[in-house]
Amino acid sequence: MSNQLTAFERSDGRWGLRNHVLILPLHSAFSATARKIADDSSGAVAVSHDWSGEIDGDFDRIVKTISGFAANPNNFATIFITIGTPNELAIIELAKKIGLGKFEVLNVAELGSMSKIADIGLQMANSLLKEAKASQRISAPWSAIKLGQECGGSDALSGITANPALGVASDRLVELGSSSVLGETTEILGAEHLLAARAITPEIGARIVETVARYERSINYEGIDMRGAQPSRGNIEGGLTTLEEKSLGAAKKAGSAQFSGVFEYADQVVNPGLYFMDTPGHDTEQLTGFAAAGINIVVFTTGRGTPTGSAIVPTIKVATNTTMASAIPDLIDLNAGTIADGLKTLADVGGELFDLILEVANGKLTKAEKGLHHEFSLSRMYNTVIR
Amino acid sequence: MLSILMRKVLVLNESDNIAVCLVDLDIGEVIAQDGLNLTIQNRIPRGHKVASKDIAKDAGIIKYGERMGHATSDIKIGEHVHTHNVLGDRLSTEQVK
Repeated sequence: MSNQLTAFERSDGRWGLRNHVLILPLHSAFSATARKIADDSSGAVAVSHDWSGEIDGDFDRIVKTISGFAANPNNFATIFITIGTPNELAIIELAKKIGLGKFEVLNVAELGSMSKIADIGLQMANSLLKEAKASQRISAPWSAIKLGQECGGSDALSGITANPALGVASDRLVELGSSSVLGETTEILGAEHLLAARAITPEIGARIVETVARYERSINYEGIDMRGAQPSRGNIEGGLTTLEEKSLGAAKKAGSAQFSGVFEYADQVVNPGLYFMDTPGHDTEQLTGFAAAGINIVVFTTGRGTPTGSAIVPTIKVATNTTMASAIPDLIDLNAGTIADGLKTLADVGGELFDLILEVANGKLTKAEKGLHHEFSLSRMYNTVIR
Repeated sequence: MLSILMRKVLVLNESDNIAVCLVDLDIGEVIAQDGLNLTIQNRIPRGHKVASKDIAKDAGIIKYGERMGHATSDIKIGEHVHTHNVLGDRLSTEQVK
C-alpha cells in the first residue's frame, strides 16, 4: 500500500479529502428542494435542518455551524438556497471568511418559483459536479488530515479495544503533523484531570478542567440528574459502573499525545496537534460540529453499532467487539474486538486503523458513505423563540 | 507468556485492584494468570469487573491505573465489582435502579 497522502488543494491552502458539491438550504423550508436537487443530480449531497431564521440565544451557534459546514474543505462547491433575508445572507458572508470554495446562491425572492429553483439548481449542481470530477488529487502533507474522534454506543470493551486503538492511530498522526480532535465534554467528566496533565501549558490544562466544570454547572442549573443517563442503563448492563470509568475509557481515544489547545463548539481547527473541543455527547450534533470546524475525516468507535454518518465528512466505524461487528457488517469498517478475542494486539489494530485512515483519506469509501448516512443536526442550548 | 486467547480476565494496569472479565465467569472458577490466583465468588458477565485484590470499604477502585470510584462495602478478592458495591466519586450511580 502506498504511504502517500493525496488530497484536493483549496485556493486558501486548506485540503479536502473529498470533493463534494453540497446543496445547503439556509431555511428549513427548502430542505425537500435541496434533497430533490441532490437526488436528481449525478452525485451532489444535501442536508436538511430545522432552522427557520429565528433569532434567539442559539443564533450565533447556528450561524457558525451552517457557515462552517459550507466552508468545510471537503466541499468543492456549495449551492445555497435562501429566502434572501439579511441573516441568511450573513451565513454566506461568514462562510466566505472561513474559506468557502466555489458557490452559487439560489435566491427565492429573486427567482420567485420553486420549480425554477429546482431546475436551475439541478443544472448548477451537474455543471459543478463535472468540474469537481475533472479536478485531481495531488500529493499532500500530513497536516492536510484533520481527524475527529468520536464514540457512540459505548460498552465495557470500548476503553480496552477500539478507543485505545484509535489512540494509537491518533498519536501517530499527531507525530506526523496532522490535527486530531477529541470532543464530547460529557464523556471526559471524571477524566479531565488526566487530560489536563497532558496539556502543553498550565493555562490549556486549566481550560480543559474549566470546560468540564462549566458543563457540570449547566447540568446543575437545568436541574438534570445525570445519574440516570450517564452511564446509561445499557452501559451498566455492559459492565460500566461509574461515569468516571466510562470517561477513562472514552479518553483513551486521544492516545497519549500532549494537548495543544481547547476549542469551543465548531471553532476552526487550523494548526497541527491534539486538541479538545467542547461538544455535546449527542452523536450527530458532535459530528456536525466537527464538520463545521473544518475536520475532514472522523473515526467513530461503537459498541452497539451506531449508523450515524456525515454528508461531507467520511466517518470510519470501528467496532469494540466481534459479536456486534459480525452482526452488522455493513456498518463496520474495522473490528477492534479482535484485541479482546486475543487474536490481535492493540499495536496491530492501531496500525490497521492508521492504514485505513490513510486509505479513506485517499478516497476509499467508508461503510457510512456507501450507506448514504447523511445525518445533520444543529446543536441548541436554549428554547426556540419565534421571532 | 499466555496469549490473550487463553486469558479469562484482562489486567489493564499493574496497580489496578480489578480485572475485566473476557468471558462469562461462574462461581468456583479459578483464575490463574498474570500473577493472579483467585476463585470467582459470584456469576460475573463478560465485560464486568472482578476484584483482583481485597478492597476495603471506602477505598478507591482502580482501573487503567486510575481511580474510577470507591467501594461502598468491603469487597473480597474474586467478587463481582459493580453498582451494588461501588459509587462514583462525583456523579454517582446511587439513584439508578
